[in-house]
Formats: sequence, C-alpha cells, structure tokens
Amino acid sequence: MLLAASSIQVGSEQLDVSWFLLLGAALFVLGAIGVLIRRNPLVMLICIELMLNAVNLTLVAFSRQLNNREGQLFALMTMTVAAAEAVVGLAILVDIFRVRDLEDVDDLSELKG
Amino acid sequence: MGAATLVFWIATLVALAGGLGVVLFKEPIRNVLSLVLVMLSLAVLFLLLSAQFVFAVQVIVYAGAVMVLFLFVITLLGPVREQGTVRLPWQIFISAVVIAAFAGFLVAMLRGVSYRTPDAADPIFGSVQSIGVGLFTDYLFPFELTSILLLVAAVGAIYLSRGAR
Amino acid sequence: MQALALAILLFPAAGGIFLGVFNWRGSRLLTAMVGPGVIWAAFVCVLILLGNNVDQDFTYWTWIRAGSFEVPFDILIDHLSLFMCLVITGVGGLIVTYAVGYMEHETDGSYARFFCYMDVFVLAMLILVLAGNTVFLIVGWAGVGLSSYLLIGFYYWRRSAVIAARKAFVMNVIGDIGMILGAFVLFVSYHQVVYLKLFPALPHTPDATTELAAFLLLVGGIAKSAQLPLHTWLPDAMEGPTPVSALIHAATMVTAGVYLVARFHPLYDATIYAHAAVAIIGAVTALFAASIALVQTDIKRVLAYSTMSQIGYMFLAVGIGAYSAGLFHLLSHAFFKALLFMAAGNVIHALHDDQDMRHYGGLWHDMRRSSVTFLAGSLSLAGIIPFVGFFSKENVLGEAFSRGDGLGYAVWFIGFVTAVLTGFYTGRMWWFAFWRPASEERPVAGHLHEAPLVMLVPVAVLAVLTTVGGFLQIKAIGGWALVDDFLKPVLGEERIRTNGLEYLATVLTLVLAALAFAAAYNFWIRGTWSPAGWRARYGWGARVLERKYYFDELYDWAFVRPLDRLAGFTDREDRSLIDTGAVDVGAYTERGAGALSLTQTGFLRSYVLVFVAGVVIAAVLVLWRASS
Repeated sequence: MLLAASSIQVGSEQLDVSWFLLLGAALFVLGAIGVLIRRNPLVMLICIELMLNAVNLTLVAFSRQLNNREGQLFALMTMTVAAAEAVVGLAILVDIFRVRDLEDVDDLSELKG
Repeated sequence: MGAATLVFWIATLVALAGGLGVVLFKEPIRNVLSLVLVMLSLAVLFLLLSAQFVFAVQVIVYAGAVMVLFLFVITLLGPVREQGTVRLPWQIFISAVVIAAFAGFLVAMLRGVSYRTPDAADPIFGSVQSIGVGLFTDYLFPFELTSILLLVAAVGAIYLSRGAR
Repeated sequence: MQALALAILLFPAAGGIFLGVFNWRGSRLLTAMVGPGVIWAAFVCVLILLGNNVDQDFTYWTWIRAGSFEVPFDILIDHLSLFMCLVITGVGGLIVTYAVGYMEHETDGSYARFFCYMDVFVLAMLILVLAGNTVFLIVGWAGVGLSSYLLIGFYYWRRSAVIAARKAFVMNVIGDIGMILGAFVLFVSYHQVVYLKLFPALPHTPDATTELAAFLLLVGGIAKSAQLPLHTWLPDAMEGPTPVSALIHAATMVTAGVYLVARFHPLYDATIYAHAAVAIIGAVTALFAASIALVQTDIKRVLAYSTMSQIGYMFLAVGIGAYSAGLFHLLSHAFFKALLFMAAGNVIHALHDDQDMRHYGGLWHDMRRSSVTFLAGSLSLAGIIPFVGFFSKENVLGEAFSRGDGLGYAVWFIGFVTAVLTGFYTGRMWWFAFWRPASEERPVAGHLHEAPLVMLVPVAVLAVLTTVGGFLQIKAIGGWALVDDFLKPVLGEERIRTNGLEYLATVLTLVLAALAFAAAYNFWIRGTWSPAGWRARYGWGARVLERKYYFDELYDWAFVRPLDRLAGFTDREDRSLIDTGAVDVGAYTERGAGALSLTQTGFLRSYVLVFVAGVVIAAVLVLWRASS
C-alpha cells in the first residue's frame, strides 16, 4: 500500500479515501505543470481551474471521511472564488487582446526591471 | 470488484486522461473540452463521496457556466497558437525540477497522513438541506462575503471589458 | 422611561446631524426652529423624567467587551444628573434661543453651522452628565472639549480666534489625559467602570490608590473648569460668539469639573489630600481671577475672569464636602452669568461688536432694558440680597466657616476677600460701562437699537430667575433647603453641621461687598478717588494684574520656548546629520535596487515558477519541522 488507508462505505462496498487524495494530488501537479510550461494565457487560466478542482476533490474527500460538512461548504466557496477569478482573468485577457496582438504570454514583459 | 469501485476507477482514469489533455493539447478548444471532461468525472467522484449538492453545482455552474465562458472567449479571440519562440530557455528544465520536488512533497505528505476519527454519521450528510443549514447558520458571514466577491468580480469584469475609454 | 432617557440624547444629536448634514445651506427659518427646538425637546424629556421621579441606571447594550473589561452603554438618571440636565437644557435652551437673534448677521452657512455646533455641544454635555460609567464620561468629556474648540474658532477667518481655539483644545487635552489616567487607575484597582458598581467598591479610608485616582481626575476637572494652573485658555476663549461664551464658558462646560467632583464624591470623601486640594485650588483661583478682573477693559474678559472666580467658589464648596452648596452655586451661577453674558451681548451687538468698556457709557440711558437685566446680574454676582448669587455664595462661605477647622477658616477667608473684590470689579463694570455718560469713542454715538424680542425674552427670563432663584434655598434660621433636599439621595446627608456663627460672617461679607460695589461709584463716576492716581501709586500691582500674573509669559518661558529651542536644535541636526545619512541611504538603496531589478524579468511564467518553488520550499520546511 502506497499510502495510509482509511476506508469509507459506499453502498455495500468499501472505498479507500487515500485514492481520492492521490488523484487530487495528481491533478494538482498536472495543473501546476500546465501553468509553468504553457505559454498561452488562456491555457494557463484553464490549468489554474484544474488545480482548483483538484483541491475541491481533496476537500470533499476529507469531508466525507470525517462526516463533516464543512469541507463541502469550503469547496463551494472555492468554486465561487474560481468563478470570480475566471471572470476577471478572462476580462483582462480580452482587454489585452483587444489592445494588441500577442503570440503568447511571454510577449507581456514590459514590466521588467 | 463492485459497481462503486468500478465507477471510481473509470472516473479516475477519465479525469487523469482529461488532465493530461489539458496540459498537452495545443489547440485551446481541446484544452477546454478536456477540462470539462475532468470536471464531469470529478462530479461523479463527488457523488461517490455523497456530496450531492457539490455534484450539482459542479455540473451546472462549473462545467456548465464557467466553461462556456471560456469557450466564448476562445471564439472571441480566435485561434491563438503558441509559436516556437523560446525566450526562457531554462524554464522547462527548472520547472521539471520544481514539479518533481513538489510531487515528491505531496506524496510524502500523503504517506504521513493520519486520519482523524470521523464524527458521528449524519443521515442528511451532503444533502441540499445540510449544505443550506451550514451556509445560513454557521457560515452566513463568509457566504455573504462571497456574494460581495462575486459582485466585485462582475463590476471589475464589466469595467475591464467595456469599449474604448 | 428607558426610551425617554435616551431621547434626551437623541434630540440634540438629531438636531446636530440635521443642521450639519442636510441643512447647512438650507432655510434660515428651519435652522432657527431646529437649533433651539431640539434642546427644548430635551428639556421637556428631562421634565417628564423629573415628574416621574425616575432614579435608575438604564443599560441599553454592551458597548465594549474584552475579557473581564466590559463597558455597557448606560445612562444614569438620578437627581444629580437630572439637576445638571435641567441646567444644561434649560439655560442652554434660553441661550440658543437668544442666539437666533444674536447670530442673525451671519451668512446662511455659518448660521446653520453655529446651531449645529451648539446642538453637538449640548449633546456632548448631556453625555457627560448622563454617563453611567467612566468610559462614557470620557466620551462626553472629550466631546465638550471638541465642540468648545469648534465654537471658539467659529470665526475661523480671524487668526486670534484660531489660536485661542487651539490653546483651549491643548489645555483641555492635558486635562483629558489626567482624566483618562484617573479612570484607568480606578479600573485597574477596582475592576469596575460603572459608577453604581465602582462606588461601593471604593475603600472608606484614605489610601495611595484613591488619592492618586482623585488627583488625576482633578487634573481633568481643573483643565475643563479653568482653575489654576490650567486656566489660561478661558479668557482667550472669549473670541467665540457671545452666546457661546454664555453657554459653554460660563453656564455649563466649565462647571463640568464641579459636577465631576460631586459625581465622584465617594472617591473624594475617601481621600484627604486630593479633597483638600480641590478646596485650595478653588479658593486660590477665586481670589486670583477676581484680582485680574479688576483691571481688564474688555467686558467679556471681565466676565470670563469672574467666571473663573465663581467656579473657584464651587470648587471650594465641593472641596470642603459641601457638595450641594457647590451645585447650588453652579445653578445660580448658570443663571446670573448667562444673564450677564447675554445682556452684555445685547450691548456688544448694538455697538457693532465693540467689547472695550472704555468705549462704552450711556447705556443706562440708551439701552434701558438690557441695562436693567445687566444690573440684576451684577448685583447677583456681587452677592447682594435678595438676588440668587447672595444665597448661593453665602451658602458656600457659610459651609466653609461652619466646618470649623483650619482648612475651613482658610478657604473662608480667601472666599471672603474674593467676595469683596467681586463687589468692586462688578461695580466697576456696572458704573463704568453702563452708568457713566457716553464715551466719545463709542462706535454708535446716537440712539442705540435695543435688542429684538428673541434676544430680550431669554434675558428677561434669566433676570427673573436671578432675582427670585435664591428662594430655592434659604438656610437662615427656620428656612428651607430645596436644593439640598433634592440632591440628598445622591450626595447623602450633609456633612457639615452649622453652628450659627456663620451668619455673622455672612452679614460681614454682604456689607463689605455692597460697600465695595458702591465704592466703585466713587472711582468711576464721582471721581472722588481716581483710578489713574491709584495706578500711579501702585503701578507695579496694576502691571502684574494686567499681565495676568505673567502666567502666559511663564508658560511661554517654561514650555513653549524650550520646546521651540529643542525643535530648532533637532531641525539643524536633522539637516546636517540625518538628512545626509538619509541621502546616502537613498543613494545606496537606488544602486541596490538597480541591481535587484535585473531579477524582474517581466515574464509571468518565471514569476510563477519562483512562486511555486517558494511554496514547495516553505511547505517542505513546515512539514519537516512538524515531523521532527
């Protein structure tokens, strides 16, 4: 067994919470890779969404394991923040694209020292 | 292997595949659709974790509304392809190191997880009722704050995207 | 009743907000209605509470709670606070009504601003007296200081007014600090802020803590009441409009110190030195201010010094434990001093804001009604029977005499000398400004316009009160003592037993004060004795008095100049030493920043990379520390 285990009851079966956590970690790392190596600003935003989703999975998994609804409430808050972030991020993006035609995010480096 | 376990593994594999798709596809539209895939499979996993309300919100708001927003922006901006210009030559190499460290850290942390004893089982756990009670009693203040946050985001987005100044 | 008690505060608050926010350039008529109207409304509330004999501590909500420190928002309605409220809203209502006429030459904006400030002042003063705990008391205390500052500097385009306002504010803040420290000492020692819980917790025997707290509170009291040595702001405060001088710097705010000592009488009863200090400061201030009043030529300044002197009497009274006598004098002083200020205001108004008595004269002939009321106030101030000032002052001096110990006789003697001086300077003011033939320098030579009705009626009401108010308390044999009886539930039984001998002293005071008042006639009308001759003979004395015992010069020498020199020194050192250093630091910083700016590549992705790396390092460190 790779991880410490804690099982939850789903119907008549036992599922292991640690697998959910591992999936969350994997998706989070994938998202982080995307943010770091992709150069399309839109894709970077998408990858951030992916990371936030991974966090949500972890929150909900712990929530189920502890029988505590607060994790789910927090996941809802995360979704709200994610939505707000996406809206503002996309608005900035549209604004930039309207002013100038850029190839990728590395074109936006006027603020260097 | 029972039905639930089967569903779990299928959803997990689809989510991982979608996650890879998000990172690897070159065409933004495919990235978005991969993310939708991830979100839908995560929604399935939420159901397995008896979070019905979060499931519904995930499908309707997230996979539905937010992703549609992304699609709109893509159609608005037209195809943007990453060119071969490399201005940060070491970026990928250093990223690989950092990400490896990060992944190792995550695995190390998860190995060390010691689960707390769960609370007493709640018959309405994860239901709309349970979430509603939580949002309108203990978490009323944060809940109202999120509404303000959304308002601020909406105002900000309108300000940023209005026409010529 | 609970709502009614709060309404006392809410009416002036609403008036101030309305005038300040919504009506600051609105209708004059509305301003003239709302400004005094809300104060009369509060007066009615006080009367209803009085009629229902309410005596209760109303707690509305918890204001601050932090650990064991809990401050409720509470209003203490008892006979002492109702007594003060009657003075504040009653006399205040008259004065603000009077101001409707007095301020008529102001522009619309200033007009509304004036009544807004007045309402805010009344609100702060009511908070001060209705407060049921020390924290709330401090709020009111600071509030009256603020509104006094605003009103002294009301003519903010006059430099002298701004300077006077600032002086008053600084002096008051010195007092506020003492006051706050005193409240701290009380809280730290007895863990209570609410009066009704604090007072039973006080010890009955003197100890260092209570002495310290009483002294610190006294600092607040003497600053607000312009007693020595924090008195220098009050004469300058006469820069404000005359109704302000009448309301704030005569009738109400400056008596807050007397109220404070009376309110904290369980504390002062438990102390020896602090309590005696109250009496001594009061007595010395009374004499000191009365002597300065002898030589002032500005009519409002004479009245200001006489206010200091009369408050000195009140301090003297509460200092020897005759609290109700002090409060009776407070009431009577509110009547006759407001009357004097307002009657003088009529004259100043008619003479185009000239306040110099040397330019007056002929007023008895030209402004008969104002002169008659001024005479009533003067006789009351001089302590002539049967005006209210006689009864209250003799009450104070009688209690001091009856006390029968060294302190009692000492302060009685000072009070006695002061009474004679008071008779003299009041006589000088009356004969010199009102009675003598019109001066050639009078700004308006011919017929003077008597004040309009809205200004005359409040003055007349006060004149009547001044004339008959003394019958509230006639403590001669077989008399009665309505004020003492009214305040007995709060202040307790009288502490001083009369022995009958004080009536001899009273007669002596009365006769000598009356003689002094009459003697002034010889000086300034008949010329039997010439002021100029006396000035030639005792020039040094006149100079000392005219320079107000050199207090301003002393403060200038002791505090202002050294601070000025220190500031000059630090300024020079700042330029030579620190500025050069700062310039060097700036230069090095600039160079360093130039080097560091190379790390700002401008590439979003590299920032994200560094950020993620930082997160990983921080997380690893946290996990490592947690596991080891």
